[in-house]
Amino acid sequence: MNYAFVSQHLGRFGLAAILLATAPLVAASEQAPARDRWHEAIGEGYSQLATETQALATHASNYCETSSSESRATLEASWLDAYQSWQRVRFVNFGPIEQQSRAWQIQFWPDRKNLVGRKVENWLKADTSPSIEAIANDSVAIQGFPAMEYLLFDERLSEPGALAEPKACDLLLAISTHLAATTQALQHDWQTFGEHYRDTQSYTAATLEAGFQTLDTLETKRLAQPIGLAGSAANAYLAEAWRSERSIKLIAASLVGLDDIFLPGLRTLLNDAGQQRLADTFAEALDDARRQANQMGAGLAPALEDPDAFADLQRLYINVGQLNRLSREVVTALGLTRGFNSSDGD
Amino acid sequence: MLRRRDFIKAALAGISTLSLHPLGWSHSDSSSSWLWSAVDDAQGHQILGYQPATGEHFRIGVSERCHSGCRRPGHPQVALFARRPGRSFHVLDANERREITRIEARSGYHFYGHGTYSPDGRYLYATANRIHDGAGLISVFDAEQGYSLHGDIDLAGIGPHELRLMPDGETLAIGLGGIRTHPDYDRVKLNLDDMAPALLLVDRRSGTILERHAPSHHQLSCRHLDIAPDGSVIAGYQFQGPAWERRPLLAFRSPQGTYNEISLPDELTDELRHYIASIAIAPDAHRALATAPRGHRALLLDLDDGRLVASHSLRDAAGALPDRQGGFWVSSGLGAIYRVPGDGSAPQQLEALNLSWDNHLS
Repeated sequence: MNYAFVSQHLGRFGLAAILLATAPLVAASEQAPARDRWHEAIGEGYSQLATETQALATHASNYCETSSSESRATLEASWLDAYQSWQRVRFVNFGPIEQQSRAWQIQFWPDRKNLVGRKVENWLKADTSPSIEAIANDSVAIQGFPAMEYLLFDERLSEPGALAEPKACDLLLAISTHLAATTQALQHDWQTFGEHYRDTQSYTAATLEAGFQTLDTLETKRLAQPIGLAGSAANAYLAEAWRSERSIKLIAASLVGLDDIFLPGLRTLLNDAGQQRLADTFAEALDDARRQANQMGAGLAPALEDPDAFADLQRLYINVGQLNRLSREVVTALGLTRGFNSSDGD
Repeated sequence: MLRRRDFIKAALAGISTLSLHPLGWSHSDSSSSWLWSAVDDAQGHQILGYQPATGEHFRIGVSERCHSGCRRPGHPQVALFARRPGRSFHVLDANERREITRIEARSGYHFYGHGTYSPDGRYLYATANRIHDGAGLISVFDAEQGYSLHGDIDLAGIGPHELRLMPDGETLAIGLGGIRTHPDYDRVKLNLDDMAPALLLVDRRSGTILERHAPSHHQLSCRHLDIAPDGSVIAGYQFQGPAWERRPLLAFRSPQGTYNEISLPDELTDELRHYIASIAIAPDAHRALATAPRGHRALLLDLDDGRLVASHSLRDAAGALPDRQGGFWVSSGLGAIYRVPGDGSAPQQLEALNLSWDNHLS
C-alpha cells in the first residue's frame, strides 16, 4: 500500500463514519479502521486456539489416566475442535506466528516424505519417553496437530489400548502440552504486537494478502491437488488430515475463519472505498462456500469414491474458485495489487 | 564513512574493474545492454532477457523458480540459479538466446540462488548447502571444463546467500544468512535460537576467511550485498525476531574494513517489515539502492555517509541494478520495470509486463 492511498482513505473516513452512523443496521464497531478490527478478531481467534489446545492437553491427560472409551472419544473431539480453531486463524502469516516457525510447529504440512509418521515412530521405538523439552527441541514434524493425529488415527495404533501404552501416552502428553504452550505464547505475543500492527500501514496490505493467499492455497493445494484437478491423478494422501478423514472439516473451519475474522476488516476497507456491493458479493460467496463445506462429509478420500460426494467436492472447489476471482476484483477496487516477492521473498 | 575524495580516487583505481562489470563484452555488442531476471508468468517459471533501451525482451522456460544470476566476463553468458533450495543453475548464451547448459547440484547439496564469476570468467562461485550437516559452502565450477565441479570452500557457517567479487578480483564478499534449512522441511527455519549470521570476506583461492562482521543481533540474517569500486560493501538484512522489535536493516563495510549498521527513520524501519531484498550500488551516482518488497519501497542512500536520500513508494520492489547512467533499474513483482534516478527524483516506469519479476536483476 502506498502512502497516497492511505491518506486518501483516512481523509474520506470521517465522512464515511458519519454516513454509517445514521444507518441503524450497522454496528458501531463497523466504523473502526480495518487493522483495529483485524487485531481484535485475530486476537480472539488466538485466544480460542489457546483455550482449546489447553483443553486438548487436559483431555489427553484424562485419557492417559483412565483409558476409557468415553475419554478417548472426548480426546478425539477435542483434538478436532482445537485443530479447527487453528484453521480459523491459520490465514495470519505475519507477526508472532512467524516466530520460531510457529505455524509449522502447529501444523507441519505438506508432508510428502511422511516425516510426521517417521518422527512419531522414532519416539515410540525410543528407549525413553520424551519430555516436553525434548519435543520442543525436536523437529516441527513432531510438535503439532498432525503428530497427534498419527497417534489418534493411524492404523499403526489401531489395536485397542495401543495409545494407552505408557510410551504412546507420554508422547501424546508431551506433544499436547508443548502445543498448548506454543499457542499460549502466540496469544500473548499477539497482544504485544498490537500497537506495532495497528500503527504500521504496510500491515493492511499484508493482512489482505494473507487472506487471499489462504483462498489460493485452499483452491490449489488443499482441494485441486488431492482431488485430481491440478494436472495429476487424484491422491487423497495429499490432503490434510487424511489419516483422520477430517480434511473437509479443516477446510470448513478455514472458511469460517475467513468469514468471522478476515471479512470484517475487509468489509471496513471496501465500505470506505464505496464498494459495499462488492463487499456483499464477496460475503455471499464466502457464505456459499462455508455452507457447502459444512453440509459435506468430514473426509476427502471417501468422496473420491462416491459420485454424489465427489459432485459436492467439485461444487466446493467451484465456490472457492469464485472467491479467488472475487478477491482479484477486491484488490483492484482497493487500488492494490497482489504481491509476489512481498509475500514470498528470499 | 566514505569521503568524496576517497571515492573519486577509488573510482579511478577501479576503472578496469568497472569495465568488466557490464558483462565484459564490448559496448558494440548489443547483449551488454540486456538485463536478466528470473520471472514467473502465466506459463510458469522463466528466465527473462530485457533490454531497457528498446523494451525488447524474450523468455526461456525453466522447470523451477529461479532467483538471481551473474554475467560471465569475456563471454556472452549468463548463469541463473534456482531459488533455494535450488537443485540446479542454468547457463544461457545471451546472443543466441538459449540455454547452453544446465548443471545439477550434487546429491546431498543444494544452491542458495546466487553466484558470481572470477574476473577471467573461468570459475563460477555459487553459495551452497551440504544438507546432512548444514555446512555453508561456496561451490566452485570450472566454466572452461563444462562447469565441472572444481572444489568447495567451507565457510564455517550456515546459510550463505548472495556473494560478489571485491574490486581486487581475489576476495569474495558473502552474505552469510545464518539460517539452517533442510529440503525435507520446505523453508522451515531450523535454528532461529542460535543463528550466527555475518558478512564474510573470503580469499577465493585459499578459502581463508579474511573478515567476519557480525550484525548487532544474532537474528539479523545478512543476505544481500553490493560492492563499490573502492571496496565499500552495503549489506541488507532480514530480521527473524519479533515483528514488533525495531532493528537496523542495512550495514556498511568501509574500504578500510570497519563495519557499521545504517539507521533509517524509525517509522520507515517499521514499514519495511524487517525485509531488504536487493542491494545495488551505482558508483557514478554515488548512490546505493535497496529494495524492500514488504514495505513496498525503494530506498536510495548516499554512499558517502549512508544518508537516506529518498524512500520511493514502489510496490513489490524487487530487483535492482545500476543503469550506468547515474541511476538504477528496479523491477517489481507486479510486472513493472522502473528507472530510479540517483538524484532522488521520482521513479519512472519504463514498462509493465504481464509477469512477476523475482527479487534480483543481473
